[in-house]
Amino acid sequence: MLSYILRRLLQAIPLLLILSLLLFTLVNLAPGGPLAGLSRTRRASTEKTEQLKQQFGLDKPLPLQYLIWLAGNDWMRVDLDGDGVKESYGTRRGILRGDFGFSYRTRQPVIEEIRHRVGNTMYLVSITLLVVALIAIPVGVLSAIKQYSTFDILATTLSFVGQAIPEFWLGLILIFIFYAWLENPLTGQPLLPVGGMYTVGAPFSLLDRTSHLVLPVIMGMVGWVAWYSRFLRSSMLDVIHQDYIRTARAKGLREWAVMFRHALKNALIPLVTLFALDFPYIFAGSLYVELIFAWPGMGRLYYDSAVRRDYPVMLALLIIGAGLILICNLLADIAYAALDPRVRYD
Amino acid sequence: MQTIEAINPQRSPKEAPGKKAGVGLTAIVWRRFRRHPGAIAGAIVLSIIVLSCTLAFLSPYDPYRSDITSRLEPPSLAHPFGTDQLGRDLLTRCLYGGRISLLVGALVVLVTLIIGVPVGALAGYLGGWVDDVLMRIIDAALSLPVLLILILLSAILREVELPAFERNNVVLIALVIGALSWMTVARLVRALFLTLREQEYVTAARALGASSLLIMSSEILPNSFGPIIVESTLEIGWAILEESGLSFLGFGIQPPTPSWGNLLNGAQEHIITHPWLAIFPGVMIFLTIISVNYIGDGLRDALDPYKVLKQIAEV
Amino acid sequence: MKRHFGRIKLGLALATLAAAASLIACQPSATPAQPPQSTEQVPVESPPAQQTSITMVVAQEPTGFNGLVTDTGYEQLVGELVYLAVSEIDPQGDIYPELAAEIPTLENGGVVLDEENWTMDVTWKLRDDITWADGEPVTADDVVFTWNAITDPEKGIWVDGVDYTDSVEKIDDYSFVVHYNTVFPGYRTQFGGENFAVYPEHFCEAEQGFTAWDCNRKPLSDGPYILKDWQTNDYLLFERNPSYYEEGKPAIDQIIVKVVPEESVRKTMMMEGDADVNMWLTVASVAELEGQPGVYVSHAPTQRWVMRLIPNLAKRGTIDASAEPHPIFSDLQVRKAVRMAIDVDTIVKEIFLDYVQPVWTEFFRPPYNVCDIPRPAYDPDGARALLEGAGWVDADGDGVRECHGCATAEEGTPLSFELMTYAEFGEELELAQQLIGEMLGGVGFDVQLSVIEGAVLWADYESGGIEQNGDFDLNLYDDGYPGTDPTDNMLWYYYHTDAAQPDSGWNVGRWSNADFDALIDDAYTLDEEYRKEVFCQMAEIMDAELPQILMWSGIEANAFSSRILGAQSTVNDSLSWNVADWTLGE
Repeated sequence: MLSYILRRLLQAIPLLLILSLLLFTLVNLAPGGPLAGLSRTRRASTEKTEQLKQQFGLDKPLPLQYLIWLAGNDWMRVDLDGDGVKESYGTRRGILRGDFGFSYRTRQPVIEEIRHRVGNTMYLVSITLLVVALIAIPVGVLSAIKQYSTFDILATTLSFVGQAIPEFWLGLILIFIFYAWLENPLTGQPLLPVGGMYTVGAPFSLLDRTSHLVLPVIMGMVGWVAWYSRFLRSSMLDVIHQDYIRTARAKGLREWAVMFRHALKNALIPLVTLFALDFPYIFAGSLYVELIFAWPGMGRLYYDSAVRRDYPVMLALLIIGAGLILICNLLADIAYAALDPRVRYD
Repeated sequence: MQTIEAINPQRSPKEAPGKKAGVGLTAIVWRRFRRHPGAIAGAIVLSIIVLSCTLAFLSPYDPYRSDITSRLEPPSLAHPFGTDQLGRDLLTRCLYGGRISLLVGALVVLVTLIIGVPVGALAGYLGGWVDDVLMRIIDAALSLPVLLILILLSAILREVELPAFERNNVVLIALVIGALSWMTVARLVRALFLTLREQEYVTAARALGASSLLIMSSEILPNSFGPIIVESTLEIGWAILEESGLSFLGFGIQPPTPSWGNLLNGAQEHIITHPWLAIFPGVMIFLTIISVNYIGDGLRDALDPYKVLKQIAEV
Repeated sequence: MKRHFGRIKLGLALATLAAAASLIACQPSATPAQPPQSTEQVPVESPPAQQTSITMVVAQEPTGFNGLVTDTGYEQLVGELVYLAVSEIDPQGDIYPELAAEIPTLENGGVVLDEENWTMDVTWKLRDDITWADGEPVTADDVVFTWNAITDPEKGIWVDGVDYTDSVEKIDDYSFVVHYNTVFPGYRTQFGGENFAVYPEHFCEAEQGFTAWDCNRKPLSDGPYILKDWQTNDYLLFERNPSYYEEGKPAIDQIIVKVVPEESVRKTMMMEGDADVNMWLTVASVAELEGQPGVYVSHAPTQRWVMRLIPNLAKRGTIDASAEPHPIFSDLQVRKAVRMAIDVDTIVKEIFLDYVQPVWTEFFRPPYNVCDIPRPAYDPDGARALLEGAGWVDADGDGVRECHGCATAEEGTPLSFELMTYAEFGEELELAQQLIGEMLGGVGFDVQLSVIEGAVLWADYESGGIEQNGDFDLNLYDDGYPGTDPTDNMLWYYYHTDAAQPDSGWNVGRWSNADFDALIDDAYTLDEEYRKEVFCQMAEIMDAELPQILMWSGIEANAFSSRILGAQSTVNDSLSWNVADWTLGE
């Protein structure tokens, strides 16, 4: 097992490098200067652009830029003041040492930008996943146990509905219903807030935090609940029809013991791996949620950077995204092996 | 003998010996499909949508012509969906937008099939180092964060002047989305070919000296149609969702060309005061996708080879 | 392990529930905002409600407090809260001193002109009663330090006036002199105005450089407010500066600047009272917020942003209009026809709800609105006649004209082009663009529309910037100069021949007129009457040759809660320009 993990990790490294090269090239193919979108008035940015380009090292050929981005330039001499003489060492350490460069927009280290947002996205995504699990698992299991019952038919229909609703549309409708239309009967104010994670300037309150979470979580979870409940239902059904379940029943175990101790945990195995595999997509999907509900997270950071052609940030997020997918795939495989004793890697 | 012929749809049902009417493969599939109320309803709804979008030219309104004096009117008899920010009839724009969205969906599926089927077939049938290499490529492609790359690619392609394409090109967007989604089909086809190449008729065909290509295309592929069709149907829905999402973000189809997604983008600002701008395009996306999903579900059941086989054997 | 899996699962479930509760409770990257009670000065018994606070909602987070490095408008908003400048511009366009004791002029001897060499020296005297929040006085050292940091060749940036300035020298603690190598009429706002701020020499790290030093994110205040807290992408929290030089000001204790990207949400927050200031209203928002109880909309008294069409006189993708002229827009008759075909009044009325005004010359703002340029008529028939006469005829009856005997294109070329505009303005501009496309289509043009992000449209030449590369036919956007002086910030950049070189300026239409160039040079003088004459000559040339087609001026409107008294929108500065003077009524 350990050797398998090591092998996978070793294979992942060249893959990430190739991906980084691909993404770096793609990002730099995109037209648009990094600094042009930063001015309310268009004039006078040309001189600034020249100087700033030099400060960002954008006047160098692409392969060299890639190398610097990867490994930094503090081991080579560069010309910082534009007089043609390379007299000082560079200041960048490269992503291999954790330096993702500086955002074109804010001049802050990209790592800082991301660091500020990661927590918020993790916060939102974890709560969403938790809610998804809490709803999808019982619904799926019950649907399977009481197959073809009214509950099952209702749940299946709802899951079709949930999978067909476009997430971003749902967000808008939620805003309309809970912010514009319905009113809090006590205060006459909108029922639920629609901006940010909490009310600024107010003291910390669990109620406040939760109320800001409600709509974004609903928006994010509907599709996943629909998908997972159906998946769990079919997985559970597969398991229920297996021989060993019949054996367990024949042995005289009570139904709930059969279901929960034997059937459920086997039905959950593929779910765990699916969760791990889907995690990066839930992460990416937070882009829509963060955009609509003004959530200061990584998805919105990517969108803002894309619109402004803030390449260092975009690139960093793309690499992190790819890395996340690779890690989650590996975790899914490990989890699968750990949970299902029939599965062996060697 | 009869079972093998039934599995191999190359021979039309009429040719197979000893056939009674309505027992052929197509008839069986259709009968099974008919038993799903959801699938039938989905088929009906989808047909209505596709038909209305095709007949959009019958509308008295021009989707591109603005009528400034009737801006942002709520739904009425004259304008069943209301009007948009420029006074254009929203229903007409939804129908024309539907054309674009449905077209993109279909094209994306076409692209994924064109890329995914050969890749998967080769990987599954030939195995060995070919399989290894292709699987590596598929894995690498699957490691890319799709939505993020879609945004990046469409940003690049929107401003680059390509000789054959005009700026707001449906084909281009479909290519871009398709280029990032063929992996599922490839994996599916690979799995299918891996299983099916062990069948006796394949061994028989090889013994007869048939080339790999011939075997793949005439023996194995037809037997994979079922799952491929189901997958493609479901992918249409997913592709429409991706395009809508991309256009909603402002990166896909550009106005004034309507698409369901970019109609929603324009509606965001007015959600509180003029909600109908957002409700109707979203409803159309929803209806399309749920119909497609029900159809796919019905097809999956109808085309299930084991159940079909059982039914043939019962005859 | 299998046997106990069920119990393990249960434990896991409980653990995750607990984790969720704690996740909600302890949100990692945001510390809970400080409760509104102020710090040690206020005795514990005093009720916290005494502190006054307002919330400003903005669409984007400012990147810092430096309006020179990036000027999206949001840097200026917060910059005005913490930093002061030597001089500022008021909403009417008049220049008033802030750090300066008075504005130097020829009359009071502050400006010394050398008529023979055509250079000048300007001496500024500063007030002696302004201090930084740490108690250090604001002196001429700070001004000289700021200027040198800005103009540092390695770590600095280009700024208006740097080409005309030889040196800035301290005379004594509260005065400094600027030596110019020419006569520069913009001297009065060189160390102030919209973007410029004076930085503290003893606090900012010169080593880090002007564009990157911590002072851009963690300022030391001499302005009315101090930055208390900054949660990135969320909000900034400011508290009043007790050592602000104006006695008793500012009146408002606390300001929160909150980032809310959605316009509809900001609007609703204003209406519900959750926000007190909404920056940069769109026309639709103005219409909805005006007349709302508890809200008033403040419009700037003067106009600045003129929406214009910029035709590319050079063939698309090239930059030399004389070598390869544009097949359509190098023809003056076509440009005139375009102007005639556009019904500006309808656009102003229907899309902008009469909140903007038609404009047809650059010189429409005081004090230079003295030129007598007649308003161009809306005359689609006249446009058609012009096009026919210029050789653009619709021979095949498809509604689109082709060249049959036209002067600038090959026989049979269709009158077809792409109308571009930028994405960041918002819906009204896209609607206007579509309307314009229709109007031009009505007289025989075939118009393709596209909306491009600013970051691509205005990027530099090598990065593929669309305008610098000439990759366009007709562009639609707005621009305008701050203050009262159009020479540097407008005329040279858009109309001088040298500005047509890639990355030198924004004469992306590649227009060239030697007489106009000479007039620009003439305008660099302090003789106002002469300048007016020069400007009017320029106005006539521009009206005759139409290097740009001006259409209407944009709105500058912000929404304020009615409890805020004294706020005033302005085109010359951020809405927070006089935040120290605001009081809370009600």
